[in-house]
Amino acid sequence: MASDKQLTREEFDVLAEKFGISGDPAYIDELFSQVRGVFIGAQAIREIDVTNVETDMAFMPRVN
Amino acid sequence: MDTLEICYMSAGDLSKLVQSKEISPVEIIDAHLSRIDATEPVLNSFITLLADESRAAARQAERDIQAGRYKGPLHGIPVGLKDLYNTGGVRTTSGSKIFDNFIPTEDCNVAARFQQAGAILLGKLNMHQFAYGPTGENPDYGHMHNPWNPDMVTGGSSGGSGSATAAGQCTITTGSDTGGSIRIPAALCGIVGLKPTYGLVSRHGLTPLSWSMDHPGPMVRTVEDAAITMKIIAGYDPKDVASAKVDIPDYTSALTGDVRGLRIGMPKEYFDAPLDPQVRKAVQDAVSLLESMGAEVREVSFPMFDQSQAISSIILMAEATAYHRDLLEKDGHQLYEPVRQRLEAGLFISAADYLRAQQARALFDREMRRLLDDVDLLAGPTEPITAPELLAPRVLAGEQEIGVVGALTQYTRPYNINGFPAISVPCGFSDAGLPIGLQLAGRPFDELTVLRAAHAYEQATDWHNRRPPL
Repeated sequence: MASDKQLTREEFDVLAEKFGISGDPAYIDELFSQVRGVFIGAQAIREIDVTNVETDMAFMPRVN
Repeated sequence: MDTLEICYMSAGDLSKLVQSKEISPVEIIDAHLSRIDATEPVLNSFITLLADESRAAARQAERDIQAGRYKGPLHGIPVGLKDLYNTGGVRTTSGSKIFDNFIPTEDCNVAARFQQAGAILLGKLNMHQFAYGPTGENPDYGHMHNPWNPDMVTGGSSGGSGSATAAGQCTITTGSDTGGSIRIPAALCGIVGLKPTYGLVSRHGLTPLSWSMDHPGPMVRTVEDAAITMKIIAGYDPKDVASAKVDIPDYTSALTGDVRGLRIGMPKEYFDAPLDPQVRKAVQDAVSLLESMGAEVREVSFPMFDQSQAISSIILMAEATAYHRDLLEKDGHQLYEPVRQRLEAGLFISAADYLRAQQARALFDREMRRLLDDVDLLAGPTEPITAPELLAPRVLAGEQEIGVVGALTQYTRPYNINGFPAISVPCGFSDAGLPIGLQLAGRPFDELTVLRAAHAYEQATDWHNRRPPL
């Protein structure tokens, strides 16, 4: 999963196997590039100060 | 009346002729089917064309109108729906051969509203597979082509809606907008696209991409047609958990042509981002025109704009993968490779990172609301570039070469994060003859102000009257 440190190719390959991902080398290379982008994006979000910010509720109990 | 003139008339103008019985719905549908015959080999806007069904519906509409049963401004008007809007008895593919034979048993809320209003469904429109891409690529049903230059993308994901509307194949089309999928093809094809406030138009019966960011809305050639369409398709739907219980105004009442006193903010960060100089000039000229018409224009600052791509990407990818996970496991090999890659990349997002992005989203919402305490609208480019070449992975935006996906969603995603209404209206053409869009965004559920400004600008210019060379 996305973490503070950069994802290595070896770590990606382990996770990809756990997720059941397969494909030819070019496909997997491109996926690795995209996943690194995801990690960079997640890191950028972690740098935003969200102290005391609660997410809007995705679930609201219905009255009836 | 000349066939081409019928195809390029607005719904507002056509409806007057229909009501006064100066033109028949049969004549309108025949004209559009001829136009589709002539242009579809180039554009590939449709996945399913309903020629016989629409002719039959037109004959029924003609009988009803002749008998005094006129239903209102969309009676007899040709409509095309993006092919992720469920239509009872008509296949709905979501742009994938996996669903080539899927025939819903009932209409989605929007399709039902069009039906009740007497609109005539011409067909189901091509789209980026599962709406997961901003260019209009689709290997299963063929890529979409821009009417202004078929070598260029339509934009997506509602690409068939963009090309069909711009080329006069349909009077009204619909799109769905999760990261810009209404506004992107609207800008690149030179039409009007309105992403309404989240919850204003029901998502029930649409294939989701990202539950919290999906917005159905109209794609049309005039702002008046956007207002007319919104009156029909907006409204509370108990089958959509996010549907808003708000009064639906007569949106056409906002179309006064008057922008005096309207406060328009131009976020300086929009103009610090990679931006084609021709687009920059067209947008600045457009805002200057609004200022000359009496609007108050000021520069504002929206620092969180820089985080909008990261926030929306994490949320969108996590939600899209959650929705499509079973499909990915079962039929992943049948997906368009870039779509499959995006869905698989979403598997790597942790719950903690998704929720952190939702926290950042709440901050983003607060910051933009504060901005809209001081101004009524935010203005900027819809796109930093004009339509890029089909399948190009990267594009030049000003002096920077950037990825096409990032470029096309650069200015649209912020309003998917917070769900505020945003419209793209034509504001010029590049030297290469490709359309440029001005984006105007407003406060939640204040479509009236968004439409008011867009309409006033449109009526002061003639960009919307230009036609692609087809």
